Amino acid sequence: MRVDYNIRDKFNFEIFFSAIILISIGIIAIYSATINRTDVQANFERQVLWGCIAIIIFFITYSLPPNLFKSLSITTYLFSLLVLILVLFFGRKISGAKSWLFFGPIGFQPSEFAKIGTILALALFLSKKWVDVDSFKHIALYLIIGLIPVGLILLEPDVGTSLTFFAIILTMIFWKGISLFSLFVVLSPPFIAISSLFGINYFLGALALIAIALFLFKKDIFFSASIFAVNLGAGFFTDYVYNALSPHQQKRIQSFLDPMSDPLGAGYNTIQTKVAIGSGGFWGKGFLAGSQTGLQFIPQQWTDFIYSVIGEEFGFLGSIILLMVFLYLLTNILKIAYHSKDEFFSLTAIGILTVYFVHLIINVGMTIGLLPVIGIPLPFVSYGGSSLVANMFMLGIIANIYRTRKYYT
Amino acid sequence: MNEQNFALASRRTVIFFVMIAGIALLSLRLFQMQILQQKIYEEKSSENSVKSVEIPPERGLIFDRNGKLIASNSPAFTLYIIPADYIAKNDSIIEAAIDEKFGYISKILKRNKSYSKFIPVKIKKDIDFPVISWLEENSEYLPGVSYGVEMHRVYPAGIMPSHVLGYTKEVSAEILEKNKQVYKAGDNIGFTGLEKQYEYFLKGEKGVKHLIVNSRGQKISNFNSGKSDISPIRGSDLILGLDVDVQQTLEQSFIGKRGAAVAVDPSSGEILALVSAPEFDLNIFSFVTESNDFSKLINDKAKPLFNRATMGLKPSGSTIKPLEALAALDMNKITENTIYNCTGGFLYGRFFKDHGGAHGRINVVHAIEKSCNSYFYSLIYKIGIDNWAGYLRKFGFGSKTGIDIPDENDGLVPDSKYYEKKIGKNWPRSLMASLGIGQGELLVTPVQLAQYTALIANYGKTVQPHLLKAYVDNRTGKTIYPNYKSFKVDIDRKYFDIVRHGMYLVVNGEGTARSIKSNEYVIAGKTGTAQNPHGEDHALFIGFAPFDNPKIAIAVVVENAGFGSTYAAPIAKKAIVTYLNKINKNVFLPDSTKKINNNIAGIPIAR
Repeated sequence: MRVDYNIRDKFNFEIFFSAIILISIGIIAIYSATINRTDVQANFERQVLWGCIAIIIFFITYSLPPNLFKSLSITTYLFSLLVLILVLFFGRKISGAKSWLFFGPIGFQPSEFAKIGTILALALFLSKKWVDVDSFKHIALYLIIGLIPVGLILLEPDVGTSLTFFAIILTMIFWKGISLFSLFVVLSPPFIAISSLFGINYFLGALALIAIALFLFKKDIFFSASIFAVNLGAGFFTDYVYNALSPHQQKRIQSFLDPMSDPLGAGYNTIQTKVAIGSGGFWGKGFLAGSQTGLQFIPQQWTDFIYSVIGEEFGFLGSIILLMVFLYLLTNILKIAYHSKDEFFSLTAIGILTVYFVHLIINVGMTIGLLPVIGIPLPFVSYGGSSLVANMFMLGIIANIYRTRKYYT
Repeated sequence: MNEQNFALASRRTVIFFVMIAGIALLSLRLFQMQILQQKIYEEKSSENSVKSVEIPPERGLIFDRNGKLIASNSPAFTLYIIPADYIAKNDSIIEAAIDEKFGYISKILKRNKSYSKFIPVKIKKDIDFPVISWLEENSEYLPGVSYGVEMHRVYPAGIMPSHVLGYTKEVSAEILEKNKQVYKAGDNIGFTGLEKQYEYFLKGEKGVKHLIVNSRGQKISNFNSGKSDISPIRGSDLILGLDVDVQQTLEQSFIGKRGAAVAVDPSSGEILALVSAPEFDLNIFSFVTESNDFSKLINDKAKPLFNRATMGLKPSGSTIKPLEALAALDMNKITENTIYNCTGGFLYGRFFKDHGGAHGRINVVHAIEKSCNSYFYSLIYKIGIDNWAGYLRKFGFGSKTGIDIPDENDGLVPDSKYYEKKIGKNWPRSLMASLGIGQGELLVTPVQLAQYTALIANYGKTVQPHLLKAYVDNRTGKTIYPNYKSFKVDIDRKYFDIVRHGMYLVVNGEGTARSIKSNEYVIAGKTGTAQNPHGEDHALFIGFAPFDNPKIAIAVVVENAGFGSTYAAPIAKKAIVTYLNKINKNVFLPDSTKKINNNIAGIPIAR
């Protein structure tokens, strides 16, 4: 073990200041989005307060003994499941999903907490010496750990957040070193299932792609055929389940697949946010000068659509700068994950990286009309105490991993 | 085992490029939208958009007991400026039109700088109609200048019960903080009186209008031809127990005087009139309150903003003597036939209280009639300090009556504990003598006196004094009569008869108020004079009528006037006669609410 008292060796300024910049941009944008509405004006002050709390939590997490995360991972995971079950009974419904638990005035989303619990549990499982990611039994076990919280979150139903979980599961096992063929075997049934929802042509096309892939992998014919059969089964099973669903559940799936089927809801927001961002131009309309923002065309703009404030008032320049800060943060996390020699921490870092990245892509993607509107906040930027605290807690874990990265060499 | 596959550099590269690809895709899209297609979106941004605008509801109306309108609403114009469109060059033209000093507009606009430039800024309320039509004509030369119509209170009944009605004011930041769902900055909220007490009923529900606006927020047309609009709902109307004529009589009697008067219906507790003089002009508050008008009111030595009827504390003077007699009778300390020899003074230890003029041998009835001080000096010692405090409290003194306008004083009922705390264990018992004639530490409010008078008039039974008789919910059209606490004092009716007999003689015998004896109605009462160390004494009178079946009980306090018999009693008489004349001539409809409902239906509801 090498002893080095250089501060830069103990504390990763890159990730810390990236996060501070993102939080500050968020606070400025929230101010602009709420200044003309007396009912939510206090959100600006609240976000400043939550920012301070989140920074304190970051430093606490940063200085914890690293083994604590390992030893607490199973507890955290089980507790996550517990709160995910509790929210189904006692949760408060906000915009269609029963995803909030309230203790007096303070509310939090159990799914935020479950992200951390699931990442730690998956990392712990994968870092076990005996685990072989190309053994189907182990893959199945891994998937069970990851999919239980997904199932609970889908019951809320919060499709956006469950997508994040799929991404976490996939990226972490990829990082662990799953072979391409195993990855294919894992991914193909859900691929078939989703495409079957779009109709028979998509289903047949997807099956053809699977057949071509199986041919290219050049595995033994009997094995390939059984995988194909499983996929075929997945398709028919999905169809069967879909038809068994009640009409309003079917409608929910439909509107997820095709957001324009609900033009007054999600469609309106997308049109307005696109107008806001597009009319921002290169330089933007200036702070507090955005007409779409000022005239309150975008509902709840300070939460999921905060990026439209930045796009309108700070233009292309501001939007790109924000993306670059994110890229800088993410590459630094990737670097930390790569250099950490402890498998558990390396995997944890990759899981957290996935959370940030997926949130960024989905949130900005839906704001600029590339993706359907899924209620997912922009990390560090959107208004909301519980997500800000969760994000800074996860960043605290990353900083902790950086601090202790040499302990295990 | 695939140990060698863990965290491969190649996999790091894959993840890195996925990240780059994702962010590049977003950037490309932003480039497309914000650089290539900026023009299209900019046009869309200035194109039509739907915006919802709140429509303020009309405040509920206030009626008197006979359906006469006391407070209603009338439109007023407010001038707005949208800073984003406004040209500062026009400052001086507009300032001249609205009669304001140079720099008025720029000062207001500066104050609102931290808000979006698209939000209209309120420049001035209550603009004259000619100015508005001038604005209309010249609107193309005056970009960013607009006006709105707001409702303000008017008082058509010719009375100004300023302390009863109270006024509304722009909602404060504090209240706004707590009621974000209900109020927005600039909304009016009941600030004093009934306007405050029944704000919840009066305020109504806001409506929503959907407008098609351009990006500057300027209206282009109605959205969906107004079909998706929600009309505002006028606030609930209040029906008071107040009688406009009695109120007017009392208000006029108090012109140039200071003091208060409260008249109640003794059996129902409904307040027939409530005056705190001087009253102030509520119209000052209907419009934007000029700060000097307001400070004039605050600095006025007569304290017009102070509600003397519920807050003003005075010694009761001799008006308390009937209660003292009741207490002594109830405690069996005296009977109707107990005789006391009045020598024109009373000796307690070394202290001699002199009241001039001996009444000779008198009983309790004549002691009340003549207001014999030495009789009551001696009586208070028979009753004892704490028993006396107990009877005072039983009749509602020393605690709020619960009248339905905000801010009321408790008054003060001194007992032995009070004196021990203030002076010490050996407080001079001579202090009690003053209490015997209603002077000294005992402090009462006019509304407490009225309640006490109602209790005596109605043999110990009344209802908590209240102004609101009913309200009409404008959503359901139902008239709702709130229940009020009834107030009972358990004392034998025969004792009340003795005391009431004394009060009868005060007016109709050789008593202190025989000057107000009326040929039409039998009035009973009691005068009082409260000593005032700061100046002229306060004149008091309590009374009720008709004697056999009281319909009105009244308490009158005239500050710095002198004797109660000379100054307060005639005012009470005027109010009593006005009211009883009305009842007898059947002006008063027994089923008054039916008439009120008809009235409400006839009033056009402004939208």
